[in-house]
Amino acid sequence: MSASTAPFRERYARSVGDPELKPRLLAFQRSWRESRDAQVRRLERRTERSFDELRRDFAAIKDSTLERMDDYIAEFRANAEAAGATVVELSTADDAVSYIAKICKSRGIDLVVKSKSMVSEEIELNHELEQRGITAIETDLGEWLLQLAEERPSHLVMPAIHQKRQYVAEILGEELGREFDPDDIPAMVASARDGLRRHYLSAGAGLTGANALVAETGSIMVVTNEGNMRLATSLPDLHFVTAGIEKLIPSWADAERQLQLLPRSATAQTLSTYTTCITGAQPGKEMHIILLDNGRRAMRETDTIGDALRCIRCGACANVCPPYQIVGGHTFGHIYTGAIGLVNTTFHHGVEEAAGPQGLCVSCGACQTVCPVDIPLPKQILEVRHRAHEEGHAPLWERIALRLWASPRLFHHLMGLAAAGSGLARLIGLVQRDHLRLPLPRRLRWRSIPAVPLRNGRTLVGSRAPQFTLADSPAAGRTVELFAQCLADRLLPTAVDSAARLIEAGGAAVNVPQSQHCCGLPAFDAGDWNTARRMAKQTIEALEGSEYEIVTPAPSCVISMQDHWPRLFNDEPEWLDRAAAVSERVHDLADWLDGPGRLADGCLSVGSSNAWTAHRFCQASNRNDAGARIDQLVERLTGETARPLEEPDVCCGFGGLTSLAAPEVGAGILERKLACVSETGCDTLVTNNPGCVIHLRAGANASGASHQTLHYADFLAARLPRNP
Amino acid sequence: MIVPGERTALFAEGLLAAQGELLQCASWDDIWQYALSLSEDRPALSPAAYDHIGQGDLPDANDPLRSIADRAVGVTEAQLAIAETGTVLLIEPAPIDRAVSLLTKHLIVGVAERDILDDLADGFRWLARQPRAAAYATFVTGPSRTADIERSLTIGVQGPSRLTVAVLA
Repeated sequence: MSASTAPFRERYARSVGDPELKPRLLAFQRSWRESRDAQVRRLERRTERSFDELRRDFAAIKDSTLERMDDYIAEFRANAEAAGATVVELSTADDAVSYIAKICKSRGIDLVVKSKSMVSEEIELNHELEQRGITAIETDLGEWLLQLAEERPSHLVMPAIHQKRQYVAEILGEELGREFDPDDIPAMVASARDGLRRHYLSAGAGLTGANALVAETGSIMVVTNEGNMRLATSLPDLHFVTAGIEKLIPSWADAERQLQLLPRSATAQTLSTYTTCITGAQPGKEMHIILLDNGRRAMRETDTIGDALRCIRCGACANVCPPYQIVGGHTFGHIYTGAIGLVNTTFHHGVEEAAGPQGLCVSCGACQTVCPVDIPLPKQILEVRHRAHEEGHAPLWERIALRLWASPRLFHHLMGLAAAGSGLARLIGLVQRDHLRLPLPRRLRWRSIPAVPLRNGRTLVGSRAPQFTLADSPAAGRTVELFAQCLADRLLPTAVDSAARLIEAGGAAVNVPQSQHCCGLPAFDAGDWNTARRMAKQTIEALEGSEYEIVTPAPSCVISMQDHWPRLFNDEPEWLDRAAAVSERVHDLADWLDGPGRLADGCLSVGSSNAWTAHRFCQASNRNDAGARIDQLVERLTGETARPLEEPDVCCGFGGLTSLAAPEVGAGILERKLACVSETGCDTLVTNNPGCVIHLRAGANASGASHQTLHYADFLAARLPRNP
Repeated sequence: MIVPGERTALFAEGLLAAQGELLQCASWDDIWQYALSLSEDRPALSPAAYDHIGQGDLPDANDPLRSIADRAVGVTEAQLAIAETGTVLLIEPAPIDRAVSLLTKHLIVGVAERDILDDLADGFRWLARQPRAAAYATFVTGPSRTADIERSLTIGVQGPSRLTVAVLA
C-alpha cells in the first residue's frame, strides 16, 4: 500500500516521521505567502477594490449560479451540443468511469492521455480504467510523477510537493531506463517532454478537467502552465472533459472575474501560462463533457456546507494551514487536501474517509482569510467534525475527558486533586518554573506539564482589596461580571486576577459569579455538540442573573458565545434567546480596555521597558477582531514598543484538543512559533488567549527557552500603581 | 484608459515578468529575418503567419503536429494582446493552426501594436463577441513552465521554452 492510500493513522505516522517534509512545506508556505500577498496588493491597487470586495463579488456570482444550477446546466448543454459536443450529467463516480470506459471500448481506444483533473482523481479514474483494460497516462509533470510512484496528490495545484528530487530522479530513472542527477532538475523536467511524447502520439483520447464551464457559449476554460493540456486536446481525436457541476459560471465576463483570483491564489501568478477556452468538438473530432454530481447536490442542500461548492481548487487554504505544514496533504485530507478536503471528502468519499484528519485542524481560521471565494471553511470543518462525532468516530479518551470537563463538580474535584498533587510535587522539588519535572513519553516531551496552583482565579479576585482607580475613567460606577474561563481559572489564576484589577483600575466594580464553569468550547470543537450544549446552558444560567456587562480575559470564549452558541441552540428557540441575551453582554478584556472601560494612553507607563513581543491569538486575529491586536493595546497603555514578531497571527499549535490528539502537530507548530519568538531576542512574550499562554509557556519550558510567557493582563497589571 | 505608448510599455513589463521576450518591429519581414537569424533550421509558420510572410514551412495538412514537432523556431500571429498581464491571445481552431505554437521550441508571436488591449476584461469582452474564436482560443503568458519538482521553477516543459512577442508598430 502506498504512503498516500494507507489508513489514516499509518499516513499520520509516516508524515510526522519524515524529517524533510516540515521544512520543505514551511519554505513553500512562506514564499507563497509573500508572492501571493504582493499579487493581491497589486490587484487591489489596479482595481481600486479590496480583496474582500473582489472575492465577495465572485462568491456572489458562484452562489447565484449554484442556486439556479439546473437552468445553467441546461443552457450549457444546449450551447455545447450546438457546437458539436456531447454533454452527459452523471450521478456517481462509477457512472463517470463506466461512461468513459464504454466510449473508449466502442472506439477501440486503449490509451488515454490526461491533463490534470481533480475530478478524475476524485473518481480514481486511472485505477478504474486499468481494471477495465484501458491505460490512462498523466501528462502534467507532477501528476505523472505521482502515477509513476503510485501516489495521490498531496496538494491541489502542486500535486507532488512532497516528493524529494532524489526520489524523483529514482522513479524517472526506472521509467525511462537512464540515470538522472537529482541536482539537475531541468534535465528531469526535459525528460517529461521526451518520455510523454510517444503517449500523445499513440493515444486515442485526451482527457482534461475544466476550471470553468461557461454557460453562455457551452465552453470550457482550462488554466495550465506546462502546455500538456493543449497537446492532449490536439493530438488524439477524442476529448473527454471531467468536471464537477459546480464549475458552471454564466458568462465570459465571470470567467475573467475568476481569473483575477485563481492564478494569484494558486501559484501567485498574475496569469498562468495557458488559459485555454474550447467550445465544442473540433472538426472531425469528438468531445464528451461529463458533468459529475458525486455528492455535490447533497452538499448544496446541506446547511452551512453548500458554500464549499464555490471552491475553484486553488489550494490557498493548504498554503496557510499550520497543521498542513507539519503533515502534508497525504495526511491532511483524503484525495482533496487542505481545509477544503476536510469538508468535501465527506460528500465525495464518505464520513469514514473524512473522519481521520478532522482532529488535525487547529481551528485557527487562516484558511478563510485567503480563500478567493470566501468559503467559511472553519465553520464547515466544525460541522463535519460534528457529523464524524455523531457517527462514532471520536476517540474514547476524548469522550471521557469531555464528560469529566462538562461536570463543574467533577472538574473542580479533579483540579483540586491536581493542585494538591502539584503542591506536594513542589515540596519535594519536582516543580521548576511552575512546571512539573516528570518523565514523559518521547512524543510528549516537547511540552512540560504545568503545576496547578492551589488557589484558583476566582478565589484570588475575592481575597484582595479592590484595585486603586485611575483618574478619568469612563467606566466609573459601573459593575462588571468577570468570566474567568475554566482553563485560566485553574491554570492561570493570576491572569484572571490581573484582568479584574485592570477593570477595577478603569473604575468599575468586579463581580465574579461563582457558579461559572465552561462555555462549552472544548466539546463544540471536538464535535460533541450535546455535551457542548449542556456546558453552554450551565454557563448561561450562571451569567444570566444580572444585566451587567460581562468581561473575559479569554477571547476564545467570546467567539464561542457569539459564533457557536447560535449553532448549538438552532433548534431550541428559548435557549437561543437566553444565549443571545448573555452573549450580547460579553466583551473580550482587550476590547473593554479600549472601549467601555478604556484606560488612558500611557497610564501604565513605568519608565522602564522589557524587550517584549506579542503573539496574537490566531482565531480572533483571523476573524479580524480589533481586540486581537494586543500589541497595539499594550503599546498604547505602556508606551513600550513591541519588537516585531514574524507571523504574529499564525497559530501557536495549541488548537484545543489537537495538541492532545495529534501531539506531533502541536509540537511542530509550536516549534515554528518559538523559532520566530527566539529571533526577536525578547525576554517576554505576551499573548491574549489563556490556552496560548499555557501552551507557549509549557513549550518554552520544555525547550529550555529563556523568555517568559505572559497573558497581557499580567504584563499590564504589573504596571498598575500600587494601592495608596 | 491607457494611452497607446504606455500600453505597450505595460505589456512589455508583464511579458518580461512572465519570462517572455519583446521584439519591436516595423513589419512581418523584420519578424522573418529575426526568425531566420535564430537557427539554421528553417522556421515553421502557422497559416496565419504564412499569410503575412509568404515563405517558410507550413505544417503538413495531413499530419500537422508530427510534421513540425520540435522545430527550433516557429512563427505565429496573435489576434490581440493584453497589456495588464503581458498576454497574447491565439485563435487556433484547427490542429494546423496550433501546431507551431504547441511544438516549436522558440515561438515568435507577431501582434499589431494597435491590437494591445488594456486588460483581461477587454480580452474576454472581445471573445464573448466572437463565438467562433472561442472554438479554440488560448491566452498565452510567457513560455511554458513547471515548478513540480521541489518547487524549482523550470522554463520550457512541454510547450515552447522561449516566447518572443514581436510588436508591430
